[in-house]
Amino acid sequence: MTAKSLLTVRGLAITAAGRAITTGTNLEIARGETIAIVGESGSGKSLTAKAIARLLPPGVSATGQVSYDGIDLLALPEREMQQIRGRRLSLMLQDPFTMLNPLMKSGLHIAEMLRDRPEFRDRAALNGEVARRLTEVGITDPDVAERMPFQLSGGMSQRIALAAALARDPELLIADEPSTALDVTTQAEIIKLLKRVQQSRGMGLVLITHNLRLAFSTCDRIYVLYAGSLLEVGSARAVEADPFHPYTLGLLLSEPPADKRVPKLIAIRGKVPRADEVAGRCAFADRCDWTKDACRAAAPALAELAPGRLTACIRRREIAAEMQALRGSALAAASPSAAPDSATRPIVRAASLVKDFAGRAGRVVQALKGVSIEVRPGESVGLVGESGSGKTTLGRILVGLETPTSGRIDIGGFDASDFSAMTSAERAATRRIIQMVFQDPYSTLNPRHSVRRSLTEAIGTIGRFPRSEIDARIAELLREVGLPEYYAERRPSSLSGGERQRVAIARALSVKPKILVCDEPVSALDVSVQAQILNLFKRLKLELGLSYLFITHDLAVVRQIAERIYVLYLGEVVEHGSAEDVISRPQHPYTKRLIDSIPR
Amino acid sequence: MMRSGMARLILMRLAIAVPLLLIISFGVFSLVHLAPGDPVRALLGTRPSDPETLATLRARYHLDDPFIVQYGKWLGQVLQGDLGRSINGNRLVLSSIKERAGVTIYLCLISTVIVLVAGILLGMLAAFRRGGRLDRFVVMFGVFGISSPAFVTGIFLLYVFGVVLGWFPTFGAGRGFLDRFWHLTLPSLALALSIMAIVVKITRASMIEVMDRDYVAFARARGMSAARITFAYILRNALIPVVTAGGLIVIGFLANAIYVEVTFALPGLGSLIVDAVQRRDIPLIQGTTLVFALFVVIINLVVDIIYTMIDPRIRFGKVAS
Amino acid sequence: MTEHVEATQPKERAPRDAIPPAIVIAFIVVAIVVICAFFGGSIAPDSPFTQRLEIGDTPPSAEFPAGTDLLGRDVLSRVIHGAWTALIGPVVVAAGAFAIATVLGLLSGYLGGVVDSGIMRWVDFMLALPGPLVAIVVVGVVGGGYWTAVAVLIILFTAPDTRIVRSAVLEQRPRPYIDAARALGVSKTRILFVHILPNVLPIILAYVVLDFAFALVNLAGLSFLGLGVEPGTPDWGRMLFENRTILFTNPVALLLPAAMVILTAVSMNLIGDWLFARFTRQ
Repeated sequence: MTAKSLLTVRGLAITAAGRAITTGTNLEIARGETIAIVGESGSGKSLTAKAIARLLPPGVSATGQVSYDGIDLLALPEREMQQIRGRRLSLMLQDPFTMLNPLMKSGLHIAEMLRDRPEFRDRAALNGEVARRLTEVGITDPDVAERMPFQLSGGMSQRIALAAALARDPELLIADEPSTALDVTTQAEIIKLLKRVQQSRGMGLVLITHNLRLAFSTCDRIYVLYAGSLLEVGSARAVEADPFHPYTLGLLLSEPPADKRVPKLIAIRGKVPRADEVAGRCAFADRCDWTKDACRAAAPALAELAPGRLTACIRRREIAAEMQALRGSALAAASPSAAPDSATRPIVRAASLVKDFAGRAGRVVQALKGVSIEVRPGESVGLVGESGSGKTTLGRILVGLETPTSGRIDIGGFDASDFSAMTSAERAATRRIIQMVFQDPYSTLNPRHSVRRSLTEAIGTIGRFPRSEIDARIAELLREVGLPEYYAERRPSSLSGGERQRVAIARALSVKPKILVCDEPVSALDVSVQAQILNLFKRLKLELGLSYLFITHDLAVVRQIAERIYVLYLGEVVEHGSAEDVISRPQHPYTKRLIDSIPR
Repeated sequence: MMRSGMARLILMRLAIAVPLLLIISFGVFSLVHLAPGDPVRALLGTRPSDPETLATLRARYHLDDPFIVQYGKWLGQVLQGDLGRSINGNRLVLSSIKERAGVTIYLCLISTVIVLVAGILLGMLAAFRRGGRLDRFVVMFGVFGISSPAFVTGIFLLYVFGVVLGWFPTFGAGRGFLDRFWHLTLPSLALALSIMAIVVKITRASMIEVMDRDYVAFARARGMSAARITFAYILRNALIPVVTAGGLIVIGFLANAIYVEVTFALPGLGSLIVDAVQRRDIPLIQGTTLVFALFVVIINLVVDIIYTMIDPRIRFGKVAS
Repeated sequence: MTEHVEATQPKERAPRDAIPPAIVIAFIVVAIVVICAFFGGSIAPDSPFTQRLEIGDTPPSAEFPAGTDLLGRDVLSRVIHGAWTALIGPVVVAAGAFAIATVLGLLSGYLGGVVDSGIMRWVDFMLALPGPLVAIVVVGVVGGGYWTAVAVLIILFTAPDTRIVRSAVLEQRPRPYIDAARALGVSKTRILFVHILPNVLPIILAYVVLDFAFALVNLAGLSFLGLGVEPGTPDWGRMLFENRTILFTNPVALLLPAAMVILTAVSMNLIGDWLFARFTRQ
């Protein structure tokens, strides 16, 4: 585009085993500019990053043109490419826990990048430089350089990795989901750090992310990638104000807002396709509300509708008004959370729960330090915390998967402090009151059992029924969770993540429980699918009068579901109150930090 | 912290090794009673059963004492280096062992060198050429190696190089360093081939796994040189499973050495133990088995310590092993 | 845009991968060994026991395709009959060891606690023993030949197999589908046998095949040392022992049974590795 352009990508097409992963991506980044490549799983965003650095895994190949400061990277011999990496451009991967060599001290990752420079031949000079580099990424404790990677927290590892990636002062850094694997509060710190380093160095930054809001708040320009095709390009501010492509709009509306509660999220229907399934047409056509025959006739090209604003939607001009109207209605709608009726007796009441685990070398790790919570009938309660807060342990204790070290639990009038101490009739009755939905959709179902078999087993735990009755109940359950009846014969391997989670909810509902403990039920799902499942939870609550204990790290998610919130920090409830109060007027410093971490 | 952690770990391993040796010694001692028939008969072998010999034997093995006392007294003698006398030839068991140990140690040393150098190298090359012709050859070689016991490999080597080509002698251990090397070439090769397969298989698998790791990709993304990535990143991490399998490999060496010595008629410890077993020479079996077991336990201890040294996660007590 | 799941087509099932040629050959070899084991009497040209001391060991000829051994017995017929002991012992060892190991591994992996640490202590001890040496010494001293050897190998194999089953169980145990079943109140035995066992069984099956190969090699080894089968029994390992001295006069008498041991073991190893790769791919 301009002479200042640092990296220009033209028609980058990636294929793996004959299958298209991306189809002709064009990117442009100037010196000192920050761009984001935004996409859900399967969009090809990570492989695009790897293709630029020529680090595609074996069996995956790329064609097209990647021109870095005038050098055609794809045509470069590997030996010369090696000189480019680290010095001209660096790439950071997603998971901080796997990015460092487990057998090497963390400081050595930086030192090994520096020590071939003559001024750092001297050991003291080298160590001094490593310490200086660590300071740049916010590590002031020089002892950290001496630690092994497994002794570092995720945020600390990510800082070391950043320092190592920058050790040879590249002009461009590609960061692939640099904050996704971290806790919410750490995420915000790492992003802030990345931005600060980028600005002080005047370095180009490519941020690969699934989080549209994060991209808006961090980057100058946005590239929206979907199933291998670029659907929209534009400056962050312009795209945020008025997305040109229905997919971008859908993605934006699917993201639950943290600042208000909407009656229903506007979800994108269906699931993310593979690039080769949508070849030769608009990749989003099957999920779009404005699809016409023309959308499926050919793959639409990116067209520049305004200066610097490109979209692959051929109907943009016709539907612009409708899109804006939809956005407006979504933003306007807000429903206050119903005030919980404090008169009714709680359905779950846990008092002073303590849970100790045996740690290493005989030490005791206290996961819960006297936690008390209650949930009333028909009420949704959020349990918010980061990893290590004890939130999952609390959920597992309530459904009897763990036994608390001390404390009392009352579930629907039964003393459920210790499931193994209950009579079998009481235990069975308790289980008909409380059930659980788990995080990982991929192993929440027995891979060898069909949906019908999983549900039949669950129904069988409340009594013996004739075949016809069971089949009728299965049909009803599937209808309740929004799945067609013929899904009963499916096996988990042929279901998408969202569909598996629906079956898992149906399984929990099969005993007609009064309350569901939901442990991060949407955190492993794509944003567009996440909204569908959240809407399902909302609908089930109304239809079945369910209560929820919604365990999550995501305040925006909990805002949509819960009327009351408990904030859990290191095994203790540090704050609780109505969702409104806690999110709008946080009292505890930790809660404030959590809320400050939401990208906006 | 590091040093004391290490010392504690060695102590912990010793705390396992010593009881293990005691249990093994108890098993070895019980062999006298496991043998069908009267223990005195078993100890007598083919010697004439005159009352005087019987009485000597009963006294020597304390056969009139309760079982556990017999064991205690026997263990006491063993700890003083008295492994008794063989039934056949009435020789000191310890001196038989000393006489035979040389060949076995020599054999195992040559094979170890072959296995470590060629095995790890082949595994590495195969992993680097994953899916290529060399890789497929190495994988097939691994399957054949694991499936072919040393005595079968030995017979084929004997036939091809000893009988058809006549390059190497077909029996005996030779005298002097060079002659012995010449005599032991085929046996060492037979021994090495079967063990090498395991090493190749483990090295290849763990190399492939490590090469796919994020830290290798990140090292490449930072422009580290191929040599640095290969040695500091891939090889160091990939060798940990090989060292972990060290115990398995040592046991494989000793067991296959027995077969190789029999196949090539070498006068080593292995053929001594087989001779003893075939003649049911209980004291000799006990003595050789104890020495073997002691050796295995010591080597396992050394392997554990090496493992601890190369993997800091263990050293710092991150992973309970 | 409403909450709705689009009716997706079932993902097209990956076409069943063609069986690689090496595996086809391996299956053929195993089939031949099985046929020889059960119908050896009708296939073999001669009785494996008929002695012809007057001719002694002879190289291959029209009458004896693989020559004769020291006692003038037909080598080919002995190899064909030898398939029986090459098959039955390893089958018993592999099946027996895994039957025990499956029970121990399930208990150890699922129950945890004292049961687990007790079983694992025993496994660690067994694994520290030089197994083949134990087999040689015990079979040699106790006597009883082939079936004693089979029994000893079952005990020796049980330890590593238990560890394999246990780690497969431990991989399944923390999965949410097990937790979901527990939260629903599904019984422990049902969880073990309906949920965990079917998910670890394929891996067990692959290891049973690998164990067969290992048992075959071990039993042949014991026979080669004169400790396995009774003298005179047609057995591949025993033939290597008995025919050691005629390497120069009739090498086929050694090479043929040696080749059979390798071929059978290689075939089973290939099949086992292939099954393992197939079962663990998903």
